[in-house]
Amino acid sequence: MSLRLKLLALGLATLVLPWAGCRYAREMESALREGEQNSLQAVSQTIAASLQGRTDLLYREAPPAPEISADAQSGAAAEGADAAGAAHAARAASSAGSAAEPATPHAFFKPGAYDLRPLALTAAPLVDGYSDDWPREPDAWAYFRKDERHRFRILTGVYERMLYALLEVHDEHPVYDAPGSNTLDPATFGDRVWIGWQDASGEQHQAFLAATGPGTLTARRIEAGEYGQQSAPIEPRIRAAWQPTPDGYRIEMRLPLSLVGSGFGVLVDDRDVRGAPPVSYGTLRSDDLHTLGRLLVAAPELTSYLAQFMQPGLKLAVTTPDGRVLARTDALAQSTPLSAEAPLLARLYRRFVDRPGERRLIESDAPIYDRDHQELIGKLEVTQTADPWIRLRDHALTRMLNFTLSTSVVAVSLMFAFAAWLALRLARLRQASESALTGARLVTSFPETEARDELGAVARSFSTLLARLNEYTSYLRTLAGKLAHEIRTPLTIVRSSLDNLEAEQVPEAARTYLARARQGSERLNAILLAMGAASRVEESIGNAERVSFDLVPLLSSAVAAYRGAFPARAFAAQLPEGSLILSGAPDLIMQLLDKLIDNAVDFSPAGATITVRLRAESQAAVLEVENPGPPLPPDVERRLFESLWQSRPDGDSRPHFGLGLYIVRLIAEFHGGEAAAMSLPNGAGVRFSVRLAR
Amino acid sequence: MKRLVAIVEDEAALRDNYAAAFTREGYAVRAYASRAQAMQAFAARLPDLVVIDISLEEEPEGGFELCRQLRALSAELPIIFLTARDSELDAVSGLRLGADDFLTKDLSIPHLIARVNALFRRVDALRKPGTPEEILRRGALTLDVERMQAQWDGQVVLLSLTEFWIVHALARHPGHVRSRQQLMDAANVVLDDNTITSHVKRIRRKFQSIDPQFDAVQTVYGMGYRWVE
Repeated sequence: MSLRLKLLALGLATLVLPWAGCRYAREMESALREGEQNSLQAVSQTIAASLQGRTDLLYREAPPAPEISADAQSGAAAEGADAAGAAHAARAASSAGSAAEPATPHAFFKPGAYDLRPLALTAAPLVDGYSDDWPREPDAWAYFRKDERHRFRILTGVYERMLYALLEVHDEHPVYDAPGSNTLDPATFGDRVWIGWQDASGEQHQAFLAATGPGTLTARRIEAGEYGQQSAPIEPRIRAAWQPTPDGYRIEMRLPLSLVGSGFGVLVDDRDVRGAPPVSYGTLRSDDLHTLGRLLVAAPELTSYLAQFMQPGLKLAVTTPDGRVLARTDALAQSTPLSAEAPLLARLYRRFVDRPGERRLIESDAPIYDRDHQELIGKLEVTQTADPWIRLRDHALTRMLNFTLSTSVVAVSLMFAFAAWLALRLARLRQASESALTGARLVTSFPETEARDELGAVARSFSTLLARLNEYTSYLRTLAGKLAHEIRTPLTIVRSSLDNLEAEQVPEAARTYLARARQGSERLNAILLAMGAASRVEESIGNAERVSFDLVPLLSSAVAAYRGAFPARAFAAQLPEGSLILSGAPDLIMQLLDKLIDNAVDFSPAGATITVRLRAESQAAVLEVENPGPPLPPDVERRLFESLWQSRPDGDSRPHFGLGLYIVRLIAEFHGGEAAAMSLPNGAGVRFSVRLAR
Repeated sequence: MKRLVAIVEDEAALRDNYAAAFTREGYAVRAYASRAQAMQAFAARLPDLVVIDISLEEEPEGGFELCRQLRALSAELPIIFLTARDSELDAVSGLRLGADDFLTKDLSIPHLIARVNALFRRVDALRKPGTPEEILRRGALTLDVERMQAQWDGQVVLLSLTEFWIVHALARHPGHVRSRQQLMDAANVVLDDNTITSHVKRIRRKFQSIDPQFDAVQTVYGMGYRWVE
């Protein structure tokens, strides 16, 4: 893993900032939500308190449920007003039970068996006899039955100032009134439905609905004339419609709420044949058609009362203690939907923060009590959308994420740039140290030594190390020359003494030793010459003069000379046609060739053919000497040409100081070229090549 | 009367060896260890020939200084440098200061004696008129073997003894290649190839200073040199 990647990974650690930001935003949102929950609670309690004791608003001052005595109960049962519907029956039973207790004046909200609880409709149904524009709420239906054949269900609702009712009667043989006849003539009577209500002053009113066919119905009320004559004028405030159903018929009706006081009921007169005596059942007393049950409905003013608290994103609902909605105002939808206006980035961010299944609504409720704070008369439910807070959170989140993300990006790119810079410096350092090792001469100028950081310190110590190494190698390089010089004087003393000794009278027996001493000193002298060779070559390179000369005749005459000098080897010369003019020192080139040939001779077996080849390139002349023999040891191609380096078989008696190929290199470099060595493929031998700039 | 050879050499053993050899050869010998000693003696009496080591005791270049001072005293006094140094620069400096020869200590004592004898011969020959049969003529080159003097186009070329012998060996058989070894033998010196090369280079330069067109000494690569007319 490169330094760059490591620092990049380190930079990515700054991404913990946005993560922490998200966590913080979430916490902040919960805190806000909790605070809002509390304030909503306070709002709901305030509104509930303002509604305390306002039974006029909640229930239009409905009177307490009439005492349902055991007689009345049985009477109702006798009249076939059999309380139907399991829930209602149970409630009726329990209320009957509690009615035995002294009734509290405000117990009106206790459910009665015949009570109707209209829905708070959200739209006005079209009075056409069809139920499809009514809410699907099976629990809201009230069921009444006399027996299996005689039963109906009724759904009531309030929208604005109108009371709507949907009546579904089970009747296997619906019978129409005779059309166009006197509606008061009993012989014309078909199935009829009576509506009875108690007005605000407590007076009872009735109207009947008689269908002569499907469609709109007219309601008529019975009026007694002056002379006991009865008439049935149309009641225009009631609108109704009749439609058949698979098991009977349906009547939908509408009447102004102002008409109705606290009591309301319906009675079905079922006739199997026109004019026959009816089977009557319903929530009106069958004898005087007085209402048995109440209409538990809120005053229309309750809605406008609630409306004063409204604001967008808020929903208020007043319910009865058992949860039926009396009135509601809903402005939830008026709040701007979140996704519509949020920018893409914010929506993206939200994905990180939102918890799945989180409710976007805050709800709170508060009880509404009666004037004495004794009885529960209703409940206030307040619902508020959390959108403003989410939006607030999103806003803060977006800003914070933008900020932290850009911080991260900046940090990462800074780190990346820094890492790149560092890697560049390290690469330069590495390159310098590599070239210092492999270069012809040691490099003392080192990059980065001016830098003040740790890298600079490393570079400086490297540079110092190299300088020391340089001193050491230059000492080594000159050592041979110095040593030769220092040994020369004592050797001269030895040799001159031997010379003098020979002139003296030496016994014949001692002459042998004299000769041996002379041989030894001659060998020493040869060693000295070899040791001083490199420094002499360096010196002559320093003094060399460049002339233009032709390499081809030089090499051909040299090869001819080598044939004479080394009769145990064959020499092959592969020289280009014509001439190859080079600028340089021919004497040095000869020395270079001498060293290469020496080397080739030393490392090739007797009888081998040494090839001298010259090639002309566009910028250089390439001189190659190939000899059969052992391949180069691995990894020595570069070191071969270093000073004082040698790899020769043991047992070579001639003095060698690892200077021959060093001299080759020096001369090649003087000619702007380089020397290289390689093993030939298949162990065919070794090739030395020297490139000389033209 | 014996010829007086002065040896200035700071290495006592070497000095005594040389002194013994010269004495044996029939020369009178005076040996000195330092430049001061030598100059003191030379002020009283100049020897007939001086052999000087370049580095003398405290002075690494004391021999050169001594040579300069001796040349100031006498223009004709034969001077030979005998040194452990063999760098070309030293040889050039020594010969420029007017030394007659520059020998390294590799030289054996018999060789050294031979050079000294030769030098005395040259001095003697310069003092008396030369005999014509000792003159070698090759084109523009005239070599007076007796005086060990070379002339090119009638102008004297100041050659050291070694250089003279090299030119002589080459010019005697024009066109024949003389190997370095042959040249060394002719010059009575033991030198390595490099030194021969620099001698030849110096010879060419000396002739070229008189005649820039001079190219009578040719290199035969890998073999040696030859004289071309």
